[in-house]
Amino acid sequence: MILLCGIPSESPLAMVARELDALGAAYRVLNQRKVAAHDIAWEINGAGIAGKLHLDGETFALAEIDAVYIRLMDDRILPELEGEPEGSPARRHARGFHDALLRWLEIAPGRMVNRSEPQGSNGSKPYQAQLIQTYGLRVPETLITNDPAAVLDFQRRHGAIIYKSISGVRSIVRAFGEEDLARLDHIRWCPVQFQGLLPGTDVRVHVIDKDAFATEIVSDKIDYRYAKRAGGSAELRATELPADITEKCIALTRGLGLAFAGIDLKRTPDGEFFCFEVNPSPAFSYYEANTEQPIARAVGRYLAGTN
Amino acid sequence: MVLILCEEVDFAAAWAAERLRERGVEVEFVTGADLAAAGRLEHRVGADGITFELELADGRRLSRARVHGVLNRLSFLPAACVRRIGGPDRDYALQEYYALYLSWLHALAGPKLNAPTPQGLCGNWRHPASWAALAMQADLPAEPYRQSSRDDPMAVWQPGAGSAPAAAFVVGERVIAEPPVQEFNGPCRKLAAAAGATLLGIDFAPGADGHWRFIGATVLPDLVRGGPPLADALAQVFRP
Repeated sequence: MILLCGIPSESPLAMVARELDALGAAYRVLNQRKVAAHDIAWEINGAGIAGKLHLDGETFALAEIDAVYIRLMDDRILPELEGEPEGSPARRHARGFHDALLRWLEIAPGRMVNRSEPQGSNGSKPYQAQLIQTYGLRVPETLITNDPAAVLDFQRRHGAIIYKSISGVRSIVRAFGEEDLARLDHIRWCPVQFQGLLPGTDVRVHVIDKDAFATEIVSDKIDYRYAKRAGGSAELRATELPADITEKCIALTRGLGLAFAGIDLKRTPDGEFFCFEVNPSPAFSYYEANTEQPIARAVGRYLAGTN
Repeated sequence: MVLILCEEVDFAAAWAAERLRERGVEVEFVTGADLAAAGRLEHRVGADGITFELELADGRRLSRARVHGVLNRLSFLPAACVRRIGGPDRDYALQEYYALYLSWLHALAGPKLNAPTPQGLCGNWRHPASWAALAMQADLPAEPYRQSSRDDPMAVWQPGAGSAPAAAFVVGERVIAEPPVQEFNGPCRKLAAAAGATLLGIDFAPGADGHWRFIGATVLPDLVRGGPPLADALAQVFRP
């Protein structure tokens, strides 16, 4: 049986559920918003892992579950817990349930999309960039510093530069401009990550196991994800990648321990590819909705073991 | 030069530094307070290569070119670094610093005890459930681990009282085990390999039947307990 964990109305989860229906695969949705009606208990011993999952009136042996699609939101901000004081029985149950569930997901056998541990590399962009390089993909020239003079030197060498967070938090890309120059001294308090601005076209590659779907994004803004918010536009269309780039993306995904990933590339005007990052929990619905690429179907087939 | 990173009050790190020096290893001892007070920092990643440079307040300079191995005893950002970060963006700044530390530690050349991971700067700081699963896969006898919705998730992170009745240490390929648990040298080595740890402390206690069982593992072990054999093993890893 396949388990889909998260909020049923969330687009990626809903799209994968539809594909599983089409495939006729057996699945259940673990609706986080009904956490008060869920329970889990398990044990690991010399014979393996065994336990039970109670979902809103139904009970399953954990051994029945051979694949899980994990789209869990932070249980502490579930709407159902709004107004609940810290440490209330409802909050304690939600925390206890989610922790026990997540610990089981980390060690249970089966097709997990994705386990928590391998997602960690996305929490440090330069760390992940070093891993990306080992799979033969180029990464943008990157400087992290608290020294304004080093930034100015970097800008002289690369021309236009951008800055973004080092971690996965507030990960919005911005061009380094006059306004930033005036406040550059602030980096003495907290180092900042700068990169040479690469010309070209953004490409998002969704890799699911051995399948890859490349989407080209033409935008008039540096960070196409926020183009509309910034008064710009973004046009998405399916594209083909050179075979060696596709292979590297698949190898990178597998090497990071992920079954499913959204890899951000830039194709420069001279046909070079650079990799910005690997998103381990890609909200692929935006890309599929714009291109009709069968990403949800591939995820569903992987979960069902029929890919 | 081998870099030892630790909090100011880490006696095991100071012990290791002394033992390594006695064995002819050049050591640079850097505390969390040194790192928190550091000045200029520059870290580069790209086709031009990977570099890292940090100027400490006392004039010492750490760089990728100079460091040829690391014994890291910092599981998270140094406490002194955490203390000096405040304001409304504190959580964000902590994430940024952690991401930076993870990257520059990864960038250093030579053996790393342990290599940094997203789950811990001195190695993967695993949940007891994960250690139990890995231990059983490594053929170490272990007590069953149970968890349910009714458990307090924080309870398992509370430090235990006192030290374990018996311990083993894995350093690179070597296992230094106390006499009662020397029969587990092979599984201990297997556990460290499965955990991706080049330095691992493994704790044992007798079960109700009197047989020794795995009760936990740590990437931040009490090195002093390993004594001269452990110091020899550390020196062997770091000696050019």
